[in-house]
Amino acid sequence: MSAPEAAPRGIYWLASYPKSGNTWFRVLINNLLADGPAPVSINALDHGSISSARSWLDGLLGYASANLSADEIDRLRPALYRWSLRRPGIVHHKTHEAWTQTVDGEPLLCRQATLGAVYLLRNPLDVAVSAAAHWRCSIDAAIERMGAPDAALSNTRTSLRPHVRQRLLSWSQHICSWTDTPDLNCLVLRYEDLLADTAAQFGRASAHLGLPSDPARIARAVQHSRFDELARQEREQGFRERPPDAQRFFRAGRRGGWRQQLTPAQVARLIADHGALMQRHGYVDCSGEPCD
Amino acid sequence: MLRAAYGLRFDSALPLPELLPTDGLAADADVQVRFGNVDEAGLAGGTQVGPFAWASPDALWLQVPRIARYLVRRGCEIVIDPAPGIDDDSLRLFLLGSCVGALLFQRGLLVLHGNAVQIGEHCLVCVGPSGAGKSTLAAAFLRRGYPVIADDVTPVDQHGRVLAGIPRIKLWQDSASALSINTEPLRRIRPVLEKFDVPVPAPPGDTAVPLRWVYLLQPENRADVAIEAVPGLQRFMPLRDNTYRQNFLAGMGLGSEHLALIGRLASQVRLSRLRRPTAGFTVEAMVDAILDDVAAHP
Repeated sequence: MSAPEAAPRGIYWLASYPKSGNTWFRVLINNLLADGPAPVSINALDHGSISSARSWLDGLLGYASANLSADEIDRLRPALYRWSLRRPGIVHHKTHEAWTQTVDGEPLLCRQATLGAVYLLRNPLDVAVSAAAHWRCSIDAAIERMGAPDAALSNTRTSLRPHVRQRLLSWSQHICSWTDTPDLNCLVLRYEDLLADTAAQFGRASAHLGLPSDPARIARAVQHSRFDELARQEREQGFRERPPDAQRFFRAGRRGGWRQQLTPAQVARLIADHGALMQRHGYVDCSGEPCD
Repeated sequence: MLRAAYGLRFDSALPLPELLPTDGLAADADVQVRFGNVDEAGLAGGTQVGPFAWASPDALWLQVPRIARYLVRRGCEIVIDPAPGIDDDSLRLFLLGSCVGALLFQRGLLVLHGNAVQIGEHCLVCVGPSGAGKSTLAAAFLRRGYPVIADDVTPVDQHGRVLAGIPRIKLWQDSASALSINTEPLRRIRPVLEKFDVPVPAPPGDTAVPLRWVYLLQPENRADVAIEAVPGLQRFMPLRDNTYRQNFLAGMGLGSEHLALIGRLASQVRLSRLRRPTAGFTVEAMVDAILDDVAAHP
């Protein structure tokens, strides 16, 4: 008789470039797990951490990451995620980071501890509009950042942030870092497809993540995570994850909003910067024209 | 020369200029800090409590790769095994942080992760996660003439008194700039960081000051500063959550003893949430709000 197969243990990453639907996806997961009669509160989103959350990392380290430089912290991080393997079971953590290596050449998010990922992808024309509102900068500045190969979040040397430095790279590099790394077990999910058929796409992702995926339960989670519900909750209670400078977190939650917001020059710049990846994921056609 | 902090006398092979000098012979020291070999493999007979930490009822083993390994034993000894070529500032920073924190736990104290400010005969402690603004708030109190008696590591004894620690505040450049503190003459806490050692006057009088108020710093998406008292039964969890390096307590065999200390403290202090906007620089408004609250609830 063969020994029973050991229960899987490790991390599934919920990975995305900022403003690509990650928070909505976590709302869906929370509603799926709660499976309650009413929607979960957007201010009580639980289940898993964020790869860069300083208080979580400090708790595992046993000393203050504030006393280390960003590169020094990164060198220690693979061991912190590897620590997850000590406990049986699967955990799901959010990340906005690109899949990168430490200065020692080790995958930052720890290859050994990583079971896989769901990578959420959104039309960069819409990301630029949403990110500008989120970062409280001009659309041009957001486009600049999306094209910068050295872009990073919480990248300051002169103050302490609740998150450690997160390397984004450019929007195109961010995607490739996850989708082109061999054997990462990465399911790519387009935000637009998730919007168009939430139940089918979320069901597919849930199955990939080792979460419950029976259709009735998925349908309830989808119903409790409708955009008008999230916007209503934010209007009534506020949202603790909204950045201090942004006016609202759940803004439009739709596709194609860029048509009213971007100038032709801004569209051209994004397509010039990211055309190859946009074509690969169906955001521009083979002549370089936007599909949406 | 012996150095004093937290009511203890340190005899240290690593110079500790941040601590106040004190009289006495080496034989009188409460704590020995020496260089020595610390086993790379961890703590024999201990439990690994994190990728870089081991604990047992009488020892804590800590590794900061490329800086040092530390062994903290029985509340009276710290052994440092430095990495080749490392500077003294880096060694001191982790020694005076997590290692001294563990040593104080081993001596039976409750250690809060926060800063203590003396107000009259009593003191308040501000606790909260890293980056919540504890040190900036302490620096703002100092500027208004209130003695800062502990920074980051704040031990509370059985009688509910805070033991005065190291007379300094560690401040990031942005906070210093916002408080108009010139960092030019100040020492960096480590060569690689834009974070400075702001010396503060040694506290007047007793080195043990009764703790009266605890404020939980809570940055939120809001426009104003607000204080909200936490009722008795709900004080326990926030105090537990703001204990210094609480993940290691069970491994140190201090779980139940420590919970009893928290329970006692919860019944002795006035605990409030200090909600503040994440955006903007509101530290002066926070000081005003706290001073009003302290005056209303002496």
